[in-house]
Amino acid sequence: MSQSYNRGTIESFGRWREFSAGMWAWIFHKFTGWVLVGYLFTHIAVLSTAIDGAEMYTNTIVTLEGLLLVRILEVGLLAVAVFHILNGLRLLLVDLGVGLESQDKSFYASVILTGAITVASVPTFIAGAF
Amino acid sequence: MAEHYSSFRKGGRLWLWQRITAAFLVVVLAFHFFLLHFVYHADEVTFALSQSRMETWTYYSLMVLFLITATFHGVNGVYNALINQGLTGTKRQVVKGTLIVASVILLVQGIRTANAWAGIGVL
Repeated sequence: MSQSYNRGTIESFGRWREFSAGMWAWIFHKFTGWVLVGYLFTHIAVLSTAIDGAEMYTNTIVTLEGLLLVRILEVGLLAVAVFHILNGLRLLLVDLGVGLESQDKSFYASVILTGAITVASVPTFIAGAF
Repeated sequence: MAEHYSSFRKGGRLWLWQRITAAFLVVVLAFHFFLLHFVYHADEVTFALSQSRMETWTYYSLMVLFLITATFHGVNGVYNALINQGLTGTKRQVVKGTLIVASVILLVQGIRTANAWAGIGVL
């Protein structure tokens, strides 16, 4: 494959109006990655209340899951994770030389599928919060 | 910013490990979400329920491997993102050291938590 793809100076976020689908995919992947790694540290911090005993852990989780805000944030986390997974699959395939020519279409598919899975999951994620 | 910064190093293994862990995490992260939100539900979580899963050595091993790969993939991803933004020199070494220390703390705390559920008295 001799065609080259000029992504420009990728650090120039000020050029966002000129960004193509692939550039948005790159930015969304970075953003969701930052959120997920931030959540990983938070998640372990919350779960580690289990070290202080069963009662401490159960009370902490029950209190947090009883908050509607936490449930809404969990839906957001799902959206972030689903996009990162789908776009990650897209990137793995592109790295293997599969689907480079239709990488813009696979990005749009990732976004649409993320939206569909997130919306369909809302009832399950919100259940018991009221 | 005219220069083009890249975290890619020819012959480097981190690039490959980022992708190997990605392939693993795609499956395990989806499984984790499915199990803990669709099979079990958020309002049902108790210590005993987590304990019953973590006492199974296959689940315990999978979760520890999940923690290790997610920590590597996440922290290495942050490091790469910062390099792509132009992080160099002493700042880069300080950030690298900080991220390594943060990773070790996360791993130790995560494994201690898994051990608390599994009833393992080490660490």
